Amino acid sequence: MFPVKPMKPTFKCYLPPLQTDVKKTIEPPIKKLEPKLLQGEIVVNEVNFVRKCIGAESSQDDLWGKLICTNFKVSFIPSEVPSKQKSYLSHLLLGEHDIPLTCLEQVVTVNDTKGKKKILGSNQKLKFNPTELILYCKDLRIIRFCFRETGPDSAKKVCLAIAHYSHPADLPLLFGFEYQGRRYHESKGQRVNGASPRGGLRTPIFDRPSDWDREIKRTGALEWRVCSINESYAISPSLPEHFVVPVSLADQDLKKHSIYFMNQRIPLWCWNHPNGSALVRMASIGDPLQQRKIDQKIFSAITKSHPQRSEVIKSDLDKCLPNIQDIQSAFTKIRQICVIDPFEESEERWLSSIENTRWLEYVRAFLKHSAEMLYLMEGKNTSVILQEEEDRDLNCVVSSLVQLMLDPHYRSLIGFQSLVQKEWVMAGHRFLDRCNHLKKNDKDESPLFILFLDCVWQMMNQYPAAFEFTEAYLTVLSDSMWIPLFSTFLFNSPKQRAQHLVDFAKNKAIPQGEDQVVYFPPVWDWSQQFSAKDQTLFNNPMYVGKGVACVQNGEVKSFRRTKKMYSSTLRGTPASLRNGLKVGEDSLTRRGSLVSELKPDFSLVRDESPSERFFRDWFSRPADQQSLLIPLLMPSHLALWKLFFLRWVPEACISKGGPITAYHKLSQLVDEIEILQSKLRQYKGPSPGGTPLPSSSGPLSDQRRMYFKASFPPSPPDFLTSSFPFTPMGNLCRRSGYGTPISKFLNGARIWLSTETLANDAL
Amino acid sequence: MEHIRLPKVENVRLLDRVSPRRSRVGTLYLTATHTIFVENEAGVRPLWIDILVCSVEKQAATASGCSLLVRCKNFQVLHFVVPRERECHDVHLSLQRLSQPERCEELYCFSYKPNVDEAERRQEWDFLDLKADYSRMGLPNSLWKFSPVNQHYKVSDTYPADLFVPQSATPPVIVGSSKFRSRGRFPTLSYYSKENHAAICRSSQPLSGFSARCLEDEQMLEAILRSNPRSDFMYVVDTRPKLNAIANRAAGKGYENEDNYSNIKFQFIGIENIHVMRNSQQKMLEVCELRSPSMSDFLEGLESSGWLKHIKAVLDAGIFIAKAVAEEGVSVLVHCSDGWDRTAQVCSVASVLLDPHYRTLRGLMVLIEKDWVSFGHKFSHRCNHLVGDPKEVSPAIDQFLESVWQLMEQFPCAFEFNARFLITIHSHVYSCQYGNFIGNNQRERVELRLRERTHSLWSYLWKNQTDYINPLYRPDHSQTQGLLRPSTAPYCFKSWRGLYNRFDPGMHPRQSVEDYLSAIQEETQQLEEQLASHKQVEKAVSFDRSPTAWALGSDLGLANTPQDYTGCFVTSSPCQPKAPDGSLVLLTQDSNLSNGSDQESGIADVSCRSPLSEDSTRDPDSDEAAYSAA
Repeated sequence: MFPVKPMKPTFKCYLPPLQTDVKKTIEPPIKKLEPKLLQGEIVVNEVNFVRKCIGAESSQDDLWGKLICTNFKVSFIPSEVPSKQKSYLSHLLLGEHDIPLTCLEQVVTVNDTKGKKKILGSNQKLKFNPTELILYCKDLRIIRFCFRETGPDSAKKVCLAIAHYSHPADLPLLFGFEYQGRRYHESKGQRVNGASPRGGLRTPIFDRPSDWDREIKRTGALEWRVCSINESYAISPSLPEHFVVPVSLADQDLKKHSIYFMNQRIPLWCWNHPNGSALVRMASIGDPLQQRKIDQKIFSAITKSHPQRSEVIKSDLDKCLPNIQDIQSAFTKIRQICVIDPFEESEERWLSSIENTRWLEYVRAFLKHSAEMLYLMEGKNTSVILQEEEDRDLNCVVSSLVQLMLDPHYRSLIGFQSLVQKEWVMAGHRFLDRCNHLKKNDKDESPLFILFLDCVWQMMNQYPAAFEFTEAYLTVLSDSMWIPLFSTFLFNSPKQRAQHLVDFAKNKAIPQGEDQVVYFPPVWDWSQQFSAKDQTLFNNPMYVGKGVACVQNGEVKSFRRTKKMYSSTLRGTPASLRNGLKVGEDSLTRRGSLVSELKPDFSLVRDESPSERFFRDWFSRPADQQSLLIPLLMPSHLALWKLFFLRWVPEACISKGGPITAYHKLSQLVDEIEILQSKLRQYKGPSPGGTPLPSSSGPLSDQRRMYFKASFPPSPPDFLTSSFPFTPMGNLCRRSGYGTPISKFLNGARIWLSTETLANDAL
Repeated sequence: MEHIRLPKVENVRLLDRVSPRRSRVGTLYLTATHTIFVENEAGVRPLWIDILVCSVEKQAATASGCSLLVRCKNFQVLHFVVPRERECHDVHLSLQRLSQPERCEELYCFSYKPNVDEAERRQEWDFLDLKADYSRMGLPNSLWKFSPVNQHYKVSDTYPADLFVPQSATPPVIVGSSKFRSRGRFPTLSYYSKENHAAICRSSQPLSGFSARCLEDEQMLEAILRSNPRSDFMYVVDTRPKLNAIANRAAGKGYENEDNYSNIKFQFIGIENIHVMRNSQQKMLEVCELRSPSMSDFLEGLESSGWLKHIKAVLDAGIFIAKAVAEEGVSVLVHCSDGWDRTAQVCSVASVLLDPHYRTLRGLMVLIEKDWVSFGHKFSHRCNHLVGDPKEVSPAIDQFLESVWQLMEQFPCAFEFNARFLITIHSHVYSCQYGNFIGNNQRERVELRLRERTHSLWSYLWKNQTDYINPLYRPDHSQTQGLLRPSTAPYCFKSWRGLYNRFDPGMHPRQSVEDYLSAIQEETQQLEEQLASHKQVEKAVSFDRSPTAWALGSDLGLANTPQDYTGCFVTSSPCQPKAPDGSLVLLTQDSNLSNGSDQESGIADVSCRSPLSEDSTRDPDSDEAAYSAA
């Protein structure tokens, strides 16, 4: 039956026939259940009397209801709303039990009595009646539906519909195109009244020269200019229309050079250090004869743009970092051990399992390489060119990490969003292929962006006050990749976006000249997804920003919070780096003989490299939030990003615990500070030295920055778990309804490791 | 001093672990209690190594001199290069001898004389009162009574004199039971839950061999069961792996036979023995010492050390017992072999999980005093205070402190104390600076007259409590009340850098949530004071209230008087010393605090106050104190 791996005879015992007593106790209720549909959303198929399995020991908590497939999502509508805790974060476009079709990784149907299962692709046949449907989601949820009380035909139909609609034939068939068209026309009236440019979006999109110009001015890149030779994508299909180049390079030269670069991707300016060194990214040059010549020209142009005419160093990322397949395979493995393998089985070898995935090693490698680049710019005053074959994957990660480490602006919310926009979206990261939205080519799929977010989280974990946003924000941002309603993650390049959006505007009768950002908004307009109150979960209570000012004795005094915040070392001795970063260390060599390493060998006198010295000096000084930030990179400093990887796993959930409890308390305190400040202002009147808080009138309760509010008397107890603001309830992980690990149930097929369809319904 | 062959060596190099070129040159002084390295460069404070030296290793001589590797019990590793072989040899022998005193009188606590008068010193020892903790639990009562049976340590010489036993346990039953237990350590009370009468009792293993029975021992367990009227059975938890317990039967020891005892449920929880733990910690420390490990060196090394697995086993056992008591209302008898290592670990972890009191500063001290010190954890042997059998050494108390730390990581707001508190306790368990952890049991401590001759750590910690307060602690909150339900998923256990790498500069995060919170609290307080002073000024100037101000205040649902507001806030943040009267006092205290923290790091200040001067680079006062003591 299973050609790949024969089914064990014990297969049935994993699924004890408990259904009978389930039937006795719970009568599937008959009730009209209506889905909540978005504009343009239509129901494709639906089926009643479906049981959604909740990942607990018994089937007691299971929900009855209706399973619906629309052209946007798989929706489950429970017939009775459970009295239990609902999820904290309520999504404006998706219900608690909804999964966007683009979020589906695999659709697996099972018939447990016949011992059959099949991974459904598009337009496939199903030769058995499914008793269960298991949905593996890209946001790491696993959801299981049971069709025991359902008509066999209708169950089959809904499974096929879900499989079919989750494999769209073409990009414009993604629901976002339908939705945004309707939304544009229906909300037109409101927009005209309160029209603000770009729909009030504060994040620069970098699709026009002015955004780049502002960035040049902000970083003081005097010898750089905006270049528009790629207007209408005349030169390169994957570069943005406008970008920044050295002043000394004329448009003509650039055009001439462009033909030698992969994809005609000529060097792209990313950022300027206050000391004048620049960060530049570029593709590789195919022709080795031309390479030296062009390199020289580019180098000298960049040198000319440096105030001290400092040298240029090129770093070839393809040679020193894992490639996209490595990263994809690491992610697949870490996902497997975090959400599929039962902890009881993995606990003895948890650390080596984590190690085997190599995910953390890759995270470390990227951070380490970025820190090396930082050293070159900050410590050696040199300009840096990041080179990668296509300049569209590894370069995105490293260039954005370097900027995040060097420039505090990018650690603010708007700054971070502009960084993603600049180094990922506009630089032509292939979101469509890497996310595999069309499920066409698994080989191109790779979670580069998630790797980047994990790197950001590692820094956030080490410097909890340095970022304006929270890990909840990073997680929600990663989830948004799987919601096809925003223009940010749908396209491979600015050109592809432009083409599709032009066609889209034509089809949807959107007037020419209307701003794309308005008619097909990016993800950065968070009010599309979350209420203002829920968006406050993005705010880090510890973020100091440019110094929180406060009125004291009639003067504006800013609290020097940073003063006592560095160095948690218990001894307070000058901290220095202990080999955390080392130039040229082969970051990817593994399994170096542990035994030889274990003996501290003091006879070996190895001198510190200049970069080691630089890092050590930096670590021995107090950290300044508003300056550069270097992550600690000893293996013990890297941690698993628990909220991201384990939020849906009930067994991993710490009730009343986890970092969120600290966040809760800090938020309340900060809220209290803000109330006090506003009260103080009532006494002082408008402060002469500037307004300390965003709103000068004092934070009204709905404008307050913190999600958790100070309250008097203390607010009723909040039940927080380590998964907050997500709820693992209702997401089947590991266990079946009867306490059987799902991995066993799936009989070792490790389906997330292979997309191969098991041909067990061949006969 | 007679063991010091060479009190002073000049031109010694102290090597930096990261880059040998960065070594420091200075003079090494040896004293009876401390080793001091004074750098030649002017203005650099001497480096102190307390009597924590664990091992000294001499390496082959090279052209530049002779290497000496000094490992300390607080996990500091120092690498000296002494110019002449002869000197190196002398230093080596001296340190080796000093690190292994032969007589108790050589221990530092007997020569540590801080500037404290005798009355005060005596008071130090009255700071903790175990009887008060039993009465906090509601004892004695109709179910449990105080028993004088072990006065003068007649029944069990490793047990404390004061014990609580079931009301129905008569002296003959107790004595009979003690004869059937290793070292006479009969079942006695460790923790009692007044909410549901369930209790945690502890003992050593029964001398059951293959078939032996003891009526009194069976009656003793029956008595424990009867002291929990609502329950019709009790658990007997043997914390050893089953194989170890079976092996003990051959030696006439072993475990309870369920058939012989009425209404017990017997359970093994496989915590490994002291030898396994000692080796595991050794391996773990080797991994922590790696100079530039790759990800796999670290993760695989940590895993193969098994250390975190052992910590998990201790925590698992604690959770089992805490749940039995709190959720099932069932009493538990815990034992291992002798009942002073694993039993101490498990009983104390269960107590921390069960009772919020043990998650406070004072509570944790009481708990260690009760379950470890008074019940005869063999500190002298386990910590190697005196020269002795190296096989007796084991990090049982390290594992308990680490279990608490792992819990603190999961529940950042549930503990009144911070990690520094645990680390300070750890240091002093090994430092012998205070009399608390000298000797193997109460009887030995009485004989050594420690209460008359030494100082107590507990009152020192209490006096410096501001250093040990966790600013995130919220005693008033549902998150921190009642039974803690930690996750024991493998991802929850991490390497405790703060303890095992505490002397590695650059290994520690440079920001922590706690530091921020302290700053934020300070800021809030300043604002409150300003607000209060504004309000006072306003009151003085005019009785007319500004209508806008108060309208906003009530909109926000705040208390209308600054006093309410301050009071409410201050109670929720115990880290700020509470002033008896009003905000003016708070202001002055606050400014003191912030002055202190204006030195380079708030945390550095904290260790300044520690007489154990591991932080000697910036610690003039304690250096002098310790020096004069030396």
